[in-house]
Amino acid sequence: MKRISEDYQSRLPDNTALKQQQLPAYRLQLSATGVLSGFFAAGAFCLGMGIILILSAKSIKEIEVKYTKICANCAELREDATNFDKECTCSIPFYLSETMKGNVYMYYKLYGFYQNLYQYILSRSNSQLLGTDLKDVGNCAPFSNSHDGTPIAPCGAIANSIFNDTIILSYNLNSSIPIEVPMLKSKITWWTDKYVKFQNPSSINLSSAFAGTTKPPYWSKPVYELDEEDPGNNGFLNDDFIVWMRTAAFPTFKKLYRRLNRIQYFIEGLPAGNYSLLIFDFPVTRFKGEKSVVLSTLTWSGGSSLFLGLAYTVTGAVTWLAAFSMMAIHLMLKKKKMLFIQD
Amino acid sequence: VANFYFLIIFLVQLMIDTPTSPITSGLPLFFVITVTAIKQGYEDWLRHNSDNEVNGAPVYVVRSGGLVKTRSKNIRVGDIVRIAKDEIFPADLVLLSSDRLDGSCHVTTASLDGETNLKVCTCICIMLLWVSKCFWVVVTFSFDQRRKKFVKSLKLLKIINFLKEIILFCFAGVAIYTGMETKMALNYKSKSQKRSAVEKSMNTFLIIYLIILISEAIISTILKYTWEAEEKWDEPWYNQKTEHQRNSSKVFYGILRFISDFLAFLVLYNFIIPISLYVTVEMQKFLGSFFIGWDLDLYHEESGQKAQVNTSDLNEELGQVEYVFTDKTGTLTENEMQFRECSINGIKYQEINGRLNIIFLQIKEHNLFFKAVSLCHTVQISNVQTDGIGDGPWQSNFAPSQLEYYASSPDEKALVEAAARIGIVFVGNSEETMEVKTLGKLERYKLLHILEFDSDRRRMSVIVQAPSGEKLLFAKGAESSILPKCVGGEIEKTRIHVDEFALKGLRTLCMAYKQLTSKEYEEIDRRLFEARTALQQREEKLADVFQFIEKDLILLGATAVEDRLQDRVRETIEALRMAGIKVWVLTGDKHETAVSVSLSCGHFHRTMNILELINQKSDSELFSLWIITEDHVIQHGLVVDGTSLSLALREHEKLFMEVCRNCSAVLCCRMAPLQKAKVIRLIKISPEKPITLAVGDGANDVSMIQEAHVGIGIMGKEGRQAARNSDYAIARFKFLSKLLFVHGHYYYIRIATLVQYFFYKNVCFITPQFLYQFYCLFSQQTLYDSVYLTLYNICFTSLPILIYSLLEQHIDPHVLQSKPTLYRDISKNRQLSIKTFLYWTILGFSHAFIFFFGSYFLIGKDISLLGNGQMFGNWTFGTLVFTVMVITVTVKMALETHFWTWINHLVTWGSIVFYFIFSLFYGGILWPFLGSQNMYFVFIQLLSSGSAWFAIIIMVVTCLFLDIVKKVFDRQLHPTNTEKAQVTIFYIQYLFKLKVCNSE
Repeated sequence: MKRISEDYQSRLPDNTALKQQQLPAYRLQLSATGVLSGFFAAGAFCLGMGIILILSAKSIKEIEVKYTKICANCAELREDATNFDKECTCSIPFYLSETMKGNVYMYYKLYGFYQNLYQYILSRSNSQLLGTDLKDVGNCAPFSNSHDGTPIAPCGAIANSIFNDTIILSYNLNSSIPIEVPMLKSKITWWTDKYVKFQNPSSINLSSAFAGTTKPPYWSKPVYELDEEDPGNNGFLNDDFIVWMRTAAFPTFKKLYRRLNRIQYFIEGLPAGNYSLLIFDFPVTRFKGEKSVVLSTLTWSGGSSLFLGLAYTVTGAVTWLAAFSMMAIHLMLKKKKMLFIQD
Repeated sequence: VANFYFLIIFLVQLMIDTPTSPITSGLPLFFVITVTAIKQGYEDWLRHNSDNEVNGAPVYVVRSGGLVKTRSKNIRVGDIVRIAKDEIFPADLVLLSSDRLDGSCHVTTASLDGETNLKVCTCICIMLLWVSKCFWVVVTFSFDQRRKKFVKSLKLLKIINFLKEIILFCFAGVAIYTGMETKMALNYKSKSQKRSAVEKSMNTFLIIYLIILISEAIISTILKYTWEAEEKWDEPWYNQKTEHQRNSSKVFYGILRFISDFLAFLVLYNFIIPISLYVTVEMQKFLGSFFIGWDLDLYHEESGQKAQVNTSDLNEELGQVEYVFTDKTGTLTENEMQFRECSINGIKYQEINGRLNIIFLQIKEHNLFFKAVSLCHTVQISNVQTDGIGDGPWQSNFAPSQLEYYASSPDEKALVEAAARIGIVFVGNSEETMEVKTLGKLERYKLLHILEFDSDRRRMSVIVQAPSGEKLLFAKGAESSILPKCVGGEIEKTRIHVDEFALKGLRTLCMAYKQLTSKEYEEIDRRLFEARTALQQREEKLADVFQFIEKDLILLGATAVEDRLQDRVRETIEALRMAGIKVWVLTGDKHETAVSVSLSCGHFHRTMNILELINQKSDSELFSLWIITEDHVIQHGLVVDGTSLSLALREHEKLFMEVCRNCSAVLCCRMAPLQKAKVIRLIKISPEKPITLAVGDGANDVSMIQEAHVGIGIMGKEGRQAARNSDYAIARFKFLSKLLFVHGHYYYIRIATLVQYFFYKNVCFITPQFLYQFYCLFSQQTLYDSVYLTLYNICFTSLPILIYSLLEQHIDPHVLQSKPTLYRDISKNRQLSIKTFLYWTILGFSHAFIFFFGSYFLIGKDISLLGNGQMFGNWTFGTLVFTVMVITVTVKMALETHFWTWINHLVTWGSIVFYFIFSLFYGGILWPFLGSQNMYFVFIQLLSSGSAWFAIIIMVVTCLFLDIVKKVFDRQLHPTNTEKAQVTIFYIQYLFKLKVCNSE
């Protein structure tokens, strides 16, 4: 008998909260007042944020100068392979009606350039760019080796197609002598890219470090001659190169090119007036896209477009709308209920 | 099947050049297979252990002239096995000898058919030698050819089967069947796989998604080639083709490339069919089913039995039941007989509070009746307590109520106990005598013959020699089998009384006797012996002899035994009906008894118009019934018996089903087990395809339990056969309401949300990927990093839904149980209807569009998001979409959750935090073994941008805003009953709080 009762005992389920599904819990209860106040609060927040964001976006000055057509003859010149080395420049004048205050950033913008193609994105060698193994060109097809079999450095389609226009901005102070606007090449890349992800192979000088490799077929000069003045900006460490290597998500994209050096006339930013762009060209007609230069100021949150502000405003407005209609329905139902009770 | 699909995707990835690495889908597949393997392995291991226990049990076998100890798995056919008291039979055995003088032994067949009473097995000593020779011969013959005959002739002895517990000192038997050929093994039916309605709709959804997947892949492939047809996009100068690709531009290779492109897109989008869905569903079912066994409300204290889950695949089906088929005896009733009334010599007596309203003198008068009751049976007295019989002083102290009787039928037990209460106590049978204490005076009756009960005769009799020397025959049986045989006694009055008893729902038996002269007895004895030892047609001969003996009886009276209703049966049936479930009672009992029990248990109401379809030979009545039932004003109850039912089903199936559907309660009596199953099958295949549930407790309910969608076994007195073959076993019928209304409801809600949510989150996941193809010339570039692709379903979004699907309680369980009507809210698989499915899918797509285009308008164009003017690349874009997605999908789960335990909080917010920590960690290091360093510092850069934060917030808010608004409006305008109940509970709590505040 005793054995049996023990047996029963052991079969008795444990009376724990988990096993009895009685864990202490908060039951989410949506009461009308709670939901409504939540909605109103969220709506107010969104509206407020929206207005702030719109205002800050409005404060941004931006000008875009397209130069594809104006520089078309240069491009045509380049079409002919024999003219490869010939210098071709074109100059585009434009007028800045308002002063751009604060830091001004110069971007180049490409239309219809697909940096996001699968094969294209694959076509790079991280170990080569780290400087650890220059000969590692495994993923770089079809730009891994030159015809005679020497590995290309930097290899791959991305590096090969680097944007190589040179853009010089000059300011016509009083219509006679153009002053070249001072620009900075530094800090246009992510810090980690410049100091961790991209490294030159170690050697006494760069040209010997890159010995045994050849330049990409579309490049006019080898990688160790990208910036001969500044060794910190040469080879794989070249800022323009690193910027290019961060592939853009969409076929229309903008990449940071230069920052305004705020000295002399430009302490305040870019003053209003006549400017001109001097461009050394890049074979763009072949992809039938468009190119432009963008000058822009930024706010604390970057060059936010109106989109974010509008999104917030619209969401806030819709939230309030929903809240009001909910309140109306709620009151109506309540009245009905009251009537029902009175009946 | 699903794993096969994933294996194919994996192989495709290995074969062709695809945008995602094989690891991306290989790892989840590996994970899934590992989890499944571990689960299966664990179950196998348990099974293996228990097998070992049985197979390795030591047994003593006579071999090469001596007793050898061996393991039970080594027993061969023909071995002579020695079995001691309380041991389990290791094989099917034929009894050769026992240590008792008469060569008998008592066995129970609990593990075979669940009957716990003792059965006597006798080896007929005279035949022993011959028998063993005979069966040696038979046994060495082929089994299959001889089995039929073999088994038939063996009835002569009694086969004692595998695993019968024996209560005996020693026993020797020859093994006739071993291993898989034992009767027990033959009883193992391979259970047909039952699939739940949820699983079926899940498969439908899977096919829909497969179609979506394939059409997306086809669209992508076609668009890719349309782009390429335009020359300028075919091969931009900056992305030249490799030699290999150039070569393949011939026609043949072109087709090959087309196919491989198609496959590549297939691989790219394959995440839309969630591989982890299967694991999660499996785990949810497996872990979730523990809650039933753990539930204290389903624990029956008296028997110490808790609910038992035999398959976890059907949990959610408990929330979908539309028809309940229930057995009567042992399911609705206790199967615990209580003597209530009797009619002796035409006078009716009642037992009140354990005392028959009969005065002392009358007992003498009706002496014979009670003697018949206490002698005509096969009741055993528990061995332990009969040990002391014969020791004078002990015996006199023996209070009658403390005697423990074991009987093969509970009716017999009740009768013997009742007789004992009157004062005529059956104290034991030893060898060939039966001892009865009549009002304190011990009388010994010599037991001459037992004419055993069988279901054809529906009666049994004993022949005893009274102490005075006269030989008496007592017969007991159903009134239909006794009354016609009677020639004397108050036949008419008794018949009226019996009918009255039956109307009250009592089970009746009639008693009769006959005095035998010694000449008569000698003839009987001779004929019986002849018949019993006959080798051919033994049964027929025995039946003839019984027929000869049991005639010209004198009626003594009738007994009425009540089978008490179980606790709360009426309430449970009422609740089931309120929940929109139709209850059918299927019973083998007689029509009158069945109807009265139905009335008393609330299955039939007094107000109900009860229609009867009994002993039906033609179809005309069915038509008239149908016309009556078309009247919907009053409720109808239908009573059908087995013969009419089989007729109705054979010829007028549709009409009959129509009638049944119009009736709110149906009672089928006189049903054979297979007929029960057939009724269920008919309901199952009727046009609405309702979900059926069968409840039963005995071996005769097994076929119906197996036939129904959900089979529930009651662990009752008739053994474990039903419980073992059922999907769920509970101790009492009343537990059904909690099982269905609470557990079933929860499981259904949980799994329905689980399935919908899984599809939703994978639509969210993969649609941006598809949209991105429009911006990258369908070059199969992935939007997310491959590590994110892999971990999305495994780590980032898996736990909240799993925990939800284990713990969610959208309404308080007490409310669910007290308001059965809430069960209607989930009937017909409502949560997984095409409408809700579409809602979730569209929600998924719209969320995906918001993620993608929100991010696109934010950074897609040309905007710098960093304060220092630097730009983001494609990986940052993907990470932004992914971050918004992980947060939205997790918060969406949070919105669905009504029941917030600390575990929910932990996994929900933990998942988001884990995603952030993981991403910071993953992006913070240049992983040496990964080929691509795409994600290096991407996430950190993203988070360092203020705009990105604002964008994440607004996108999450916008996504969920739609959903919240819909929820709120739905609730306000057309709330379901469930939602109303949620609100009322809230208000009650609120009012209660107010009251408390006021009183303070």
